[in-house]
Amino acid sequence: MFSKLKEKLKNWTQEIIKKKVVDEVEKKAKEEIKEKKKEEKVKKKLTKEKKKEEKEQKKKKEEKEAEKIQEEIKPVETHELIIPEKKEFDEEERKIGEQIIEDIKKEEEKAGFFKKVFSKITKIKISEEEFEEYSKELEMLLIENNVALEVAEKITEMLKEKIVGKEFLKKEIEAQIKFAFEDIIREILIEPFDLIEKIKLKKAENKPYVILFCGINGTGKTTTIAKIAKLLNAEKLSCVFAAADTFRAASIEQIKQHGEKLNVKVIAHEYGADPAAVGFDAIKYAEKNKINVVLIDTAGRMYTEKNLMAQISKIAKICKPDTKIFLGESVTGNDATEQARNFNETIGIDGIILSKADIDEKGGTALSVGYITKKPILFLGTGQEYDKLESFDKEKFIEKLGLNKGEEN
Amino acid sequence: MLEKLGQTIKKATDKIANAIFLDKNLVDSIIRDLQRALIEADVNISLVKDLSDKIRKSALDERIKGIEKKEHIIKLLHDELVSILGDYKPLKLNTGQNRIILLGLYGAGKTTTIAKLGNWYAKRGKKVALVGLDVHRPAAREQLQQLGEKNNLNVFVNFEEKDAVKTWKKCEKEKKFKEYDLILIDTAGRHTLDKELVQEIKTLGKEIKPTETILVMPADIGQAAKKQASEFQEALKISGVIITRMDSTAKGGGALTACGETKAGVYFIATGEKINDIEEFNPENFLSRMLGMGDLQGLLEKIRLVTDEKQQEKMQKKLEEGKLSLEDVIEQVKSMNQIGGFDKIKNMIPGLGNAKIPEELIGAQEEKVKKWEHILKSMTPKERENPELLKKQTSRISRIAEGAGVNNSDVRALLKQYDMLQDMLKGGVDNMDLSQGFSQKQMQKMMKKFGKKKMMRFK
Repeated sequence: MFSKLKEKLKNWTQEIIKKKVVDEVEKKAKEEIKEKKKEEKVKKKLTKEKKKEEKEQKKKKEEKEAEKIQEEIKPVETHELIIPEKKEFDEEERKIGEQIIEDIKKEEEKAGFFKKVFSKITKIKISEEEFEEYSKELEMLLIENNVALEVAEKITEMLKEKIVGKEFLKKEIEAQIKFAFEDIIREILIEPFDLIEKIKLKKAENKPYVILFCGINGTGKTTTIAKIAKLLNAEKLSCVFAAADTFRAASIEQIKQHGEKLNVKVIAHEYGADPAAVGFDAIKYAEKNKINVVLIDTAGRMYTEKNLMAQISKIAKICKPDTKIFLGESVTGNDATEQARNFNETIGIDGIILSKADIDEKGGTALSVGYITKKPILFLGTGQEYDKLESFDKEKFIEKLGLNKGEEN
Repeated sequence: MLEKLGQTIKKATDKIANAIFLDKNLVDSIIRDLQRALIEADVNISLVKDLSDKIRKSALDERIKGIEKKEHIIKLLHDELVSILGDYKPLKLNTGQNRIILLGLYGAGKTTTIAKLGNWYAKRGKKVALVGLDVHRPAAREQLQQLGEKNNLNVFVNFEEKDAVKTWKKCEKEKKFKEYDLILIDTAGRHTLDKELVQEIKTLGKEIKPTETILVMPADIGQAAKKQASEFQEALKISGVIITRMDSTAKGGGALTACGETKAGVYFIATGEKINDIEEFNPENFLSRMLGMGDLQGLLEKIRLVTDEKQQEKMQKKLEEGKLSLEDVIEQVKSMNQIGGFDKIKNMIPGLGNAKIPEELIGAQEEKVKKWEHILKSMTPKERENPELLKKQTSRISRIAEGAGVNNSDVRALLKQYDMLQDMLKGGVDNMDLSQGFSQKQMQKMMKKFGKKKMMRFK
């Protein structure tokens, strides 16, 4: 699950750094070169001015000296005059030489410039445009991993809020983006509650704990119920099945066969009976016989069928379940959001179980339904056998994304 | 079901058609809209990228003589969409015994689909038998048997045998087995990673020698669709696909395009829980329905499916005599409902697919029909045969309403419906031949009347 996402995310963050740093280096290099050029220009100007001044001074000196000479002409001989002039000339030559050496030094500095700048940039700011460019990639990446478009857009938006315009240390940028991303996933996925704990609490009150299962056709409600029964059995909790799918052919036989194998009592009416009544009877049976849990299996229903949705809300009203579980498939694409949303709006679900997680290695559906309903994912169905039911571990899920803080890079 | 995707594509083509000049910005924005719509329909992402690249390229670079660029792009878009939907490959039956295996993931709807397929071919005069080889899932065989009983289809199952291959051998030995034209075989749900189950289906394949191996896929499957389709194709040589759950808001993009890629054509799409909720898949028609251009062919097929020949003959006679009783009206409306109610019909009729008909209205329509049956039961035989009586003696209406537990207006609504149908018959009985189905023109006319009056009244 998510192996591709992990790898791609890494690439993405690395790319963002590389590009960012190169950009930054180029920019800074250009800036510094510009500055240096400016400085040089200024220096050149200054030296020119100096030279001018010097020349003027020289002229003045010469004039003065000439005057002096003229004054001295009388007492001093002419050949003496040449010597100071020569000295001054030497000085000027020396100055020019120094300037050349300085220039050469500067050239040398430029060569090592990139290295220097690279180590100098420790802070990076990601601009909106830069993020846009990469967010498209991230979005596609999420969609490829079966996250619904709507949710993928939301996630990138949240990430944008977290990282655009903020300064990051260069060394930490990949980690920082990861943390930001991790925070978002953490926010989206609600921490699953301990179902068994809740059941035990209710058991202490001597009341049966009622769980209602709903979802569209063929998601694996009946199979999952059997798996839950097995789980309860291991916890020494008794349960009863309510065969409230009175519509689909042989649905009652199906749950009865599970009941036989698991040694669980099944409360059933005939086909076409009112499913709410089946649930109600099962609860009464549990109360009478001190059974801890009632598992209500309902018919798969397409949320576009108004009447069937009215029916499920009637079942919920009459049976007053302690927990309402929506069953989704890990392989469902964009429609997962619609399914989860509609069931959540109709009966207000408490938790989600995703079946068929063994088929799909992408895992994006968990994010989609988690985000839409803001409800926790409790279990993953991972096969046909009764023990193929994994509790959903949020940390493990994040770990599989390659996002947990403990891991290096 | 597909309205949203259809609307976006339509909008895109409209935008292109109305543009004075196709500049880069416009092309980009159109492509962006298209991409969104396709991704939301679960179309495989690499396909979406290819498609948008092609359109961008032809919009900005290509020049073709004789055709305007806009037209060229619209045609290109249409052709590309048709090509990603795959070719039109109807399921053809051979003479002699046809053996069709259905396989797929858990809960894709194999068993339900088998019953629908059986019913489809039985109505078309084939001798059909269903064979239940899902020995793994509890009560899978019972399910098939119950579906068979309900729909008068022969079912071969063996409740004792726990091995699919042995079950098949036993079925094959039965005397009656050779009499059937079409054997539809139900198998257990599986995915391609499960080696044992893949082996099972391979041995089954060798034993059965199927004429067709069909993969059943749900419409809401996401980006995993491509992988699933190609893996099944590789492991088991799929000859075709049936897509289920097309009644959800899912657009089936993933499933449809995945099949296009594996070159295994989509034979059928299933659109609901009822036995008649299945239709042949034709990419062109499907696309034109999606784009709101209607799919008359699909509707006619459905009508043929729900009204079997005897009923049609009876109706034909009555039509020729120009006599129509109230019972006939209700029969007619009921068969409409069997097609899937007004909601499904409207998508197939040109121009109506995009018409906004409030949901309550459709619901109300169905409610009405239920009431009509009660009304009919509260009438005397004389009244049923001769509804004009009610108009002359309005006190009868109150009596009937009271008896049926409905309002007077409900009774009047039924009478109006009767009048409408009567009117229609007077208009063109001569060339109405129901056994051939309705002609396009007649259908449009009928729907116009049906739609107009109904909608106006309910508003």
